[in-house]
Amino acid sequence: MSKSNASRSGAWSLSFNKLRTFLSKPENVILLLMGIVLTISTISPVVAIIKDTFAIHPGTIDAYLSKKSSGYSTINYTDLFTSRLAVKNLWQPIANTLLLAIGTCIFAIVYGGSFAFFVTRTDMKWRKYLSSIFIFPYIMPQWTLAVVWQNLFNSNAVTGTSNGLLATMGITMPSWWCIGLFPSIMVLGLHYAPFAYILIGGIFRNMDSNLEEAATILNTPRPKTLWRITLPMIKPAMLSTVLLVFGGAMGSYPVPHYLKLATLSTKYVSLNAKYKGEASILAIIMMCLGGAIMIVNQLGLKSRKNYTTVTGKSGQISKISLGKAGRILIACIFVFLTFFTSIFPILSFGFETFLPNPGDYSFLYTGDSSNLTTKWWATSENITENGMYGQKGILYNKTIWSAYKGTLLVSFSCALVAGTLGTMLGYAVSKKRRSKWASYVNSVAFLPYLMPSIAVGAAFFVLFSSDKINLFNTYTGLIIVGTIKYIPFASRSALNSMLQLSGEIEESAIIQDIPWTKRMTRIIIPIQKTSILSGYLLPFMTCLRELSLFMLLCTQGFILSTTLDYFDEMGLYAFSSGINLLLIVTLLVCNGLVNKLTGASLDSGIGG
Amino acid sequence: MKKLALSLLVLCLSLSLFAQGTVEPVKAVELSPVQQIIQQAQTMTLEELARKAIEESNGKTFYGLGNSSRGKTALPLFIEYLKSLDPSYKMEYEWQQPKNNTIFEMLSADGAKEVGTYAMTLIQDGNQIESKMVQTGVLDRFIPKDWADANGVKAETYKGYLALQTLNKIFMFNSTGAKYFDNCWDFVAPGEHGLFMDIDSEPVGRNFLYMLTSDKYAAVVKSAFDALSASDKAVFQPTIDAVAKDAKELGLGANGKYALAWIKLWMESYNAQTDDGPICNTLVTDSATDQFGLIVYSKLRSVQESTNVSKNNVKVAAYEDGYKGFGGYGYCHYLFVTDNSPLPWTACAFEAYMTCTQKGFSAWGKDIGGYSSNPLVVAENDAVYNHSKGGYDANGNLVFPANNDRGLTWWTEQGNLVIEDPEYCASVAFTVGSWIDALARYNH
Repeated sequence: MSKSNASRSGAWSLSFNKLRTFLSKPENVILLLMGIVLTISTISPVVAIIKDTFAIHPGTIDAYLSKKSSGYSTINYTDLFTSRLAVKNLWQPIANTLLLAIGTCIFAIVYGGSFAFFVTRTDMKWRKYLSSIFIFPYIMPQWTLAVVWQNLFNSNAVTGTSNGLLATMGITMPSWWCIGLFPSIMVLGLHYAPFAYILIGGIFRNMDSNLEEAATILNTPRPKTLWRITLPMIKPAMLSTVLLVFGGAMGSYPVPHYLKLATLSTKYVSLNAKYKGEASILAIIMMCLGGAIMIVNQLGLKSRKNYTTVTGKSGQISKISLGKAGRILIACIFVFLTFFTSIFPILSFGFETFLPNPGDYSFLYTGDSSNLTTKWWATSENITENGMYGQKGILYNKTIWSAYKGTLLVSFSCALVAGTLGTMLGYAVSKKRRSKWASYVNSVAFLPYLMPSIAVGAAFFVLFSSDKINLFNTYTGLIIVGTIKYIPFASRSALNSMLQLSGEIEESAIIQDIPWTKRMTRIIIPIQKTSILSGYLLPFMTCLRELSLFMLLCTQGFILSTTLDYFDEMGLYAFSSGINLLLIVTLLVCNGLVNKLTGASLDSGIGG
Repeated sequence: MKKLALSLLVLCLSLSLFAQGTVEPVKAVELSPVQQIIQQAQTMTLEELARKAIEESNGKTFYGLGNSSRGKTALPLFIEYLKSLDPSYKMEYEWQQPKNNTIFEMLSADGAKEVGTYAMTLIQDGNQIESKMVQTGVLDRFIPKDWADANGVKAETYKGYLALQTLNKIFMFNSTGAKYFDNCWDFVAPGEHGLFMDIDSEPVGRNFLYMLTSDKYAAVVKSAFDALSASDKAVFQPTIDAVAKDAKELGLGANGKYALAWIKLWMESYNAQTDDGPICNTLVTDSATDQFGLIVYSKLRSVQESTNVSKNNVKVAAYEDGYKGFGGYGYCHYLFVTDNSPLPWTACAFEAYMTCTQKGFSAWGKDIGGYSSNPLVVAENDAVYNHSKGGYDANGNLVFPANNDRGLTWWTEQGNLVIEDPEYCASVAFTVGSWIDALARYNH
């Protein structure tokens, strides 16, 4: 009896010691806690939306076909997959979505990656200026570039609308250029190229150039060096870019909506009124596509385990010389391109706020200043005449300023929480990268990003709009959803950079018995400051103009992006342009502040 | 770890099931607190309601949600009225106008709260209102006593919804070129691409198409077809013949095939836009030669004259001599109190104010194209604004002919406005509706 008690107490003591040892490692605690929290926050809405695909919704097709007003049925699946509308509502949108996502990835990586290469690895001219200006399309809400695209290329002859800038000069672009897949890829590609630049540029900048230099010494041809050395080294960043851009493009609602491409996300919205349950199935399909991409990425990450080429931040980065003419010529090409993607939209936003009617460029033709107005800024009364629709001018518009405050609150909160949690997660996963639990937590944290924003918003809308948990139209709701959605920004960014850190650096600190907090604040974070700051700035920037994620969770005047979209939909481009300018100024000020306070920033950390 | 993962999954399932507990429609066994207030409110005059509103909402914030942006203009006028009864009265307000049909999701979500954010709503699309909002108990109907008296009905026995107004969306075309539209079939002729709000974004456009298949309006479409020249008829006849079988299968009347043909050609040709605002902005420019659109008449008010933009660049098709067929369609803006309204008395008073007084309706009534459901308000409004002469300047000169609104009676009788009937729309939503969904669309 006493022997058995002793053995039981020994087993308890062994288990307790094991647990204590397990919990003594910060990475284990982080992974355990994050695993639990993220599983609940990620899986619950997914389960909710799966359940929604079986629910009968009053006034929709499932109620009509099942002849029931409540309960559950599989009728939504049967109808979506087998009815005569299957091609239109399902297969065509899937094909378009995949083409859009793949096309956007390719464009963003090629354009953003090349730019990152020229900025970080060559002696191209005006790198600092170009680096700052290149990220502008990412700062701006993605559909505003679509609106700029329309203002440039639409024409009475082809799109049946009023003439855009080129059409007024007698140049008419074909239909495939103005609407559909091509412009959607271009707009989203331009929007996400800064993303590729930030991620790939971060790696380029931190990458040890010893191997490339060794290849040069061994007289290896440049293409071979690029193919066999440089690309494998930036592979993690490229994979991360593909993952993030693919998910972003797939879940983009406003760009395909404005440029008339039927994708899963636009179908989700258009089917929602009559085919609510079927729309939820589309959301599930988007999630599955996201999951498939993540599996591909996991395979890529596993295959990378044999590379141990990078061992910390090298101080020996050598710049490739482009030659006297080359460095100016390539810079000029980028100056030209960034003018149209970054400067022109801002100029056009500014100009739009002084036009008497939206898109009315009478002033340009006549030079008559009576064809300009300050009414969009300075109207202080609630009037319906002259196209104001009861709105006061931007300077006096309470809705805009209250939405601005709301946006700042949500963005700062999301950035702070997502940035911190994501960095910790990236650190913990990098430490336990061969553990299945770490891999699970990493995947579950990343899942919300791969799920299209609109689907995540829809899932949380279902979860948050009941009588028990009702966070609809609350900042708390937006912050929770934003945080869950944006943790991957920080975790990916942190994971990429942590994976490049040799374990020996921290191990040597552990041997000297330096506590974890000190190791983090004195060693890890300072070394990977740029990537970690990206983990805070990216959620902030994204949150500032996020629409697809939040559009179902709050009303129009709650945050700036929904307000901006409202004005764009209404055709009140002066207001939306003014809001765009406000967003850009805010981002620049924040970026500048971070730069001043920490010495690093989103762009200068890479390109400066 | 497997156990942990399993436990988490069970937890998530429970959480999501728990969260969805309110999806089931609410069966109103007994009157909710708001419905009880409405029952009392329906016996009160506007002034009595206003005094109740003052008691309830003084110093508070009123949130309204609507398909029209002008609720924002009407609210300060209402507050001014309440202040005339009690000068110390003060109320903040916020008015939201959701886009892309999300108003139903927002009301449903807000309706799940014990006390909602929104006190009332101004909403369109009777078809969805009945099935998604009224039957599920999210919205409650309130009929003001004064409105009922003016319309010769009794509030407690009246079965319809409280309509604030009927709005018309009409065919307008850019007249800077030589093209002329004098028959509704001209808008679906080969090569034409009318500008129109996407029917997925604004389902009242879908209801308009449903209504065309009703016997009354199918006959209008047929009669317009009969008025075409032989060569024009030959253009459309193959489409009419092609859909004849579908019309029979869908159980439509004798002229149903004409309506289906028009709908098919319209769906395959219309150029979908996000709102009537951008369409109007396009049509009034001098570069939009020969373009046309089907838009809310009142949008013309928002045009500011400039070198390239003018209200005189457009013409109203139905006003043209010899025009045949329907000139557009009409639908209602309905008023409802939310069943969990935080300020039900104030909501009732506001609805009564908008439907029973000229000033309350003036946010809409000051412009063309919106017609109050209260005959007394219609008369008062006409006396104040005289919209039939809306295109004349102060000196009596006709400056903007398109602005001369001929009124709802003319539009329904002469202009053959296709008026929405929620009951008919609901009956064909999944027969004709599914047939429409299967059609190809221009630029999609």
